[in-house]
Amino acid sequence: MRRTREILLGRWLTIRVQIALGAIFVAAALPKIIDPPGFAQMIYNYRLVPGAFINALTHMLPWLELFCGMALLLGIWRRTAALIIGAMLVSFILALGINLGRSHAVNCGCFEIDAAVKSREQLFSEMRWVIIRDVGMLLMVGQLVTALSARARRSEEELEGVVDAEPAQSS
Amino acid sequence: MPQRRRFIAEIAALVAASALCATIANAVAAKERKLAWVGDYPNALTVPPLRTEPAARTPPAISMIPSETGGSQELPAASPIAEDDAVVTTTMATRTSIPPAKTGEASPGPAPASAKAPDQPPAAAIRQWTLADFPARPDVSAIDISTEQAKALFDLRVPFIDARRSNVYEAGHIAGAISMPVWESDIDHRVARFYEAGRPGDAPLVIYCSGGNCEDSHMLAQKLWGIGYDNILVYLGGWPDWQKHGYSAERGPAR
Repeated sequence: MRRTREILLGRWLTIRVQIALGAIFVAAALPKIIDPPGFAQMIYNYRLVPGAFINALTHMLPWLELFCGMALLLGIWRRTAALIIGAMLVSFILALGINLGRSHAVNCGCFEIDAAVKSREQLFSEMRWVIIRDVGMLLMVGQLVTALSARARRSEEELEGVVDAEPAQSS
Repeated sequence: MPQRRRFIAEIAALVAASALCATIANAVAAKERKLAWVGDYPNALTVPPLRTEPAARTPPAISMIPSETGGSQELPAASPIAEDDAVVTTTMATRTSIPPAKTGEASPGPAPASAKAPDQPPAAAIRQWTLADFPARPDVSAIDISTEQAKALFDLRVPFIDARRSNVYEAGHIAGAISMPVWESDIDHRVARFYEAGRPGDAPLVIYCSGGNCEDSHMLAQKLWGIGYDNILVYLGGWPDWQKHGYSAERGPAR
């Protein structure tokens, strides 16, 4: 049990998960940044965002994906970036789930934003796969946040240990 | 507590950087890639009804072309109707009857749902369509039409409007179609230019997009209905269906 925990929260896995998540989010952001009207169309098709906010979300979301992805790739603000990515993934899963529940077929708009003609059945099958994929990425976020939090806690404890030890040495 | 403050500061920095980069990127983007920060989408929260192409329809006795064997024959490729005359007559009769903008050009407001053309009893013949078969319907923003009707209207030289993105239009579109990409920033300008050309509000217009679950035609229909066009017909099959049938098409940018 302890060994499994060590592997799951170990440095080796954490770094790979961090790079994979970062690369995925940078790759997902680029097509949306290049073509905002195409992405706005995708968001509109979900029929979940009030009309007044669609364009603002279209502008902000891809850049936020890009910066969070880059933060993970560069190893800065990793916990914050992972938590934002987690929040985004939860909202994507909810958006797809709601539309599956109400039988409204939508193009995911995750990595490609060209409105290719697909049948309803194709879209529904794609939506189910995207939900599974997003849950997988959410698990990666969980691993990353847990590992980084554990490491931060350990560092704090070590720091406290040093601070406690210093007065003892000086006396 | 300082950790939480740091976490909030990092989130704020990431959001601020995103807003700054998005503003700069939008400012320098080409016009077909620009997007206003605040949009106007009246039906953004309404799930559209499942649309199916209207069934092929049938002729009233008057429009049937009896064949020599007692059945009926197919509609000729080029309609015998004098297209220009038909359009001119309509123009003269209705130029002054364009209603004022119903809710303003930029904000069509909630429009009535589109409707399907009424079904008629089946018959063996293929109908020969005339412009009189497509009367104005001020009560609905658009009427869905079938491939057969779209082809007949094309032969009657009714204007076709392509609501897809301009790059997709350039790759291929229905011959002579006007490009009005409903998602691009200059759409209001294009609509205004079309309006200024003085086409009567009750003369038919056909709008199409990519078929399937494409909603662009209906969005554009609402915009045009909002400024007084009362006879908008949406070709549900759209470009893929037109291509499939091998009807007249062309490539290249909008003229």
